[in-house]
Amino acid sequence: MSETLTQLGKYAEEVGTKVIQLRKNESTVEVTQDRLKVFVAHLVNDLHVRHLMTITGLDVGQNLVIIYNFSLERDTIHVKTSVPKTNPQAVSIVDIVPGAILYEMELHDMFGIELIGNPWKDQKLLLPDEWPADLPPPLLKTTKPDQIRRRLGLEAAKP
Amino acid sequence: MEYSAESLVPFGPIHPALKEPEYFKLVLEGERIIDVIPRIGYVHRGLEKAAESRPWVQNMYMFERTCGICSFVHSLCYGQAVEELTLFQVPKRAKYIRTIIAEMERIHSHLLWVGLMGHWAGFDTLFMWVWNDREVVLDLVEAISGNRVHKSMNAFCGVRRDMPENMKDRIVERMKFLTDRARYYREVIDTEETMLVRTENIGRVSQDTAEKLCAVGPMARYVGLRQDVRLNDPYAAYDEVPLDIVTTTEGDVHALLRLRLDELVASANIVSYAVENLPDGPIRVKVPPVIPAGEHSSHCEAPRGEIFYYVKSSGGRTPERVKSRQPTMANLPTALEMLKGQTLADIPIVLTAIDPCFGCMDRMSFYDTETNRRWTWSGEELRQYGVNHYFPDRSKKQRGFTKAIDSSINRRQRESI
Amino acid sequence: MLEKPTTEAYPFKPIQLTERFRGKLDIDPAKCTGCQVCALVCPAAVITMVDLGTRKVGDRELKVRRPLFDLASCISCGECVDNCAFNALQLTKQFEIATPNKTDLLMNKAVVK
Repeated sequence: MSETLTQLGKYAEEVGTKVIQLRKNESTVEVTQDRLKVFVAHLVNDLHVRHLMTITGLDVGQNLVIIYNFSLERDTIHVKTSVPKTNPQAVSIVDIVPGAILYEMELHDMFGIELIGNPWKDQKLLLPDEWPADLPPPLLKTTKPDQIRRRLGLEAAKP
Repeated sequence: MEYSAESLVPFGPIHPALKEPEYFKLVLEGERIIDVIPRIGYVHRGLEKAAESRPWVQNMYMFERTCGICSFVHSLCYGQAVEELTLFQVPKRAKYIRTIIAEMERIHSHLLWVGLMGHWAGFDTLFMWVWNDREVVLDLVEAISGNRVHKSMNAFCGVRRDMPENMKDRIVERMKFLTDRARYYREVIDTEETMLVRTENIGRVSQDTAEKLCAVGPMARYVGLRQDVRLNDPYAAYDEVPLDIVTTTEGDVHALLRLRLDELVASANIVSYAVENLPDGPIRVKVPPVIPAGEHSSHCEAPRGEIFYYVKSSGGRTPERVKSRQPTMANLPTALEMLKGQTLADIPIVLTAIDPCFGCMDRMSFYDTETNRRWTWSGEELRQYGVNHYFPDRSKKQRGFTKAIDSSINRRQRESI
Repeated sequence: MLEKPTTEAYPFKPIQLTERFRGKLDIDPAKCTGCQVCALVCPAAVITMVDLGTRKVGDRELKVRRPLFDLASCISCGECVDNCAFNALQLTKQFEIATPNKTDLLMNKAVVK
């Protein structure tokens, strides 16, 4: 296990969470929303894991999971946090990692998560301006492709 | 900074003639750009949603079609992310063949880009000559895979077609030819006035900014960051072939030109080495259509930067979630920083320098804060403005066909202002 | 103008294709048994199985199906060719298949014995 991962494991234990090793160079650690910024700040500033590859959203039923995918040399570190679907508000990490700005806008478009602290949080990045207000965000499991096609007035594709 | 609604003119980016659309709102002070607000998503096809209802193998073909120029690397990255879930090993020969095709794709992409830079700078001869040399690598790819662009070579845990017999000498000879041509173009861009005037000291960004904004690929390497997935986290056969990572410290568009041409030479070297040291063995391991549950991610170095794929399986025939992140999205914040402080005439050069995978600039709207003037231009009009700005004597030397087109564009520009 | 060194003389002269070039799909109907594996693996949903009646095998009535190809959507990837257990499919070198009528591109060569 690399030096970075060892130190990450120690820090994770101090804050009451655990690093789970998925595979040889890939680990994941789960944090709560209120601890997220401190954890990411430690990762970026103290452990020098500066490169954020992207931010992935997942729909797991009751909650929406947000995964921050960091990488440093051979290690890939996923920092997971979750927000409930009934109140999809998450904290933005743009002041620690400025490169996260467009990825957070994408989360907002695709999952309907509101990123508090992102300067462009209400602007659309990927969805068209004419996206109907009553059509739910596209990447939720409850939104079906047929529903999107019909509501946007597109032809049904071949079966 | 907030600009009032009347000061930014929204114009549709769909242009019948050209490439892929995207849209920038530029706020100017006289000729200098002070702010840029991007709006992308015009070719958003919903691939991530579509992937959730298609079987695993069919998704590989779909993700290959995310991009025409880096198609192989997309299917490779997706394939690698899924292969780890299956716990089968990829045979060595397949890894080498993947490396060969990926590097040929890099050569093709860099040649295409150098040609485009020539076109946008007003040096069309460079464009034509470079794209002629590009045919060499496209013919090689067609001989191996059957198609020039969408190679369809990847499969889970292997490649679908083996290298043809007796191609080794031809490939080595063609790689030597491309190396000589790349060295010649290097001389051209270092000495030719057109390219020097248009690319030196344009598009600077500091190393700290690029690192904070998570730039990838050549955009990180041209400011001195030694960031390359092939070096930091080797995949396929990159831990066994001679890897020569090119970085520069000058940090302007001319440095990007030198960097990509040097990378071309390095890629040709990798291809020659891999073809001569190709190990024997099987090329594929058959994988069942049901992938075990789990999650995995993978990243690869495409010609434009780092591609990232995250895959989650719940043990079925279709994925639960696939996330794909293209390098142009990662480089967009850095590109916006590059644009600030540049003049109007430099926009096409700077935007092409990031090697965008959306063909860019189909419609741009401008607002000048000093004169309160608003107008809109197409990409071709912007290119012509840049050429006229830097080379005002050129129109006297042009002939016939090009002169007629340029003069009609100039007339329209004068009428719109 | 056509004698310049980098200009292809196509369409006045035929174009050079490599051996592995993947063009239009073709089927040998005598070898096809209607197992429908090609329809299941196609990434572009090109193949639909058409019912052509039934046949008697012992005391059972089995459905007879044959594939119908919509070549307008075909991406010539070769998945169906690789997966056909009876070698009934192949990719030819034809690429000049453009036509103003979409129905010309529906290929149905079913032969029911």
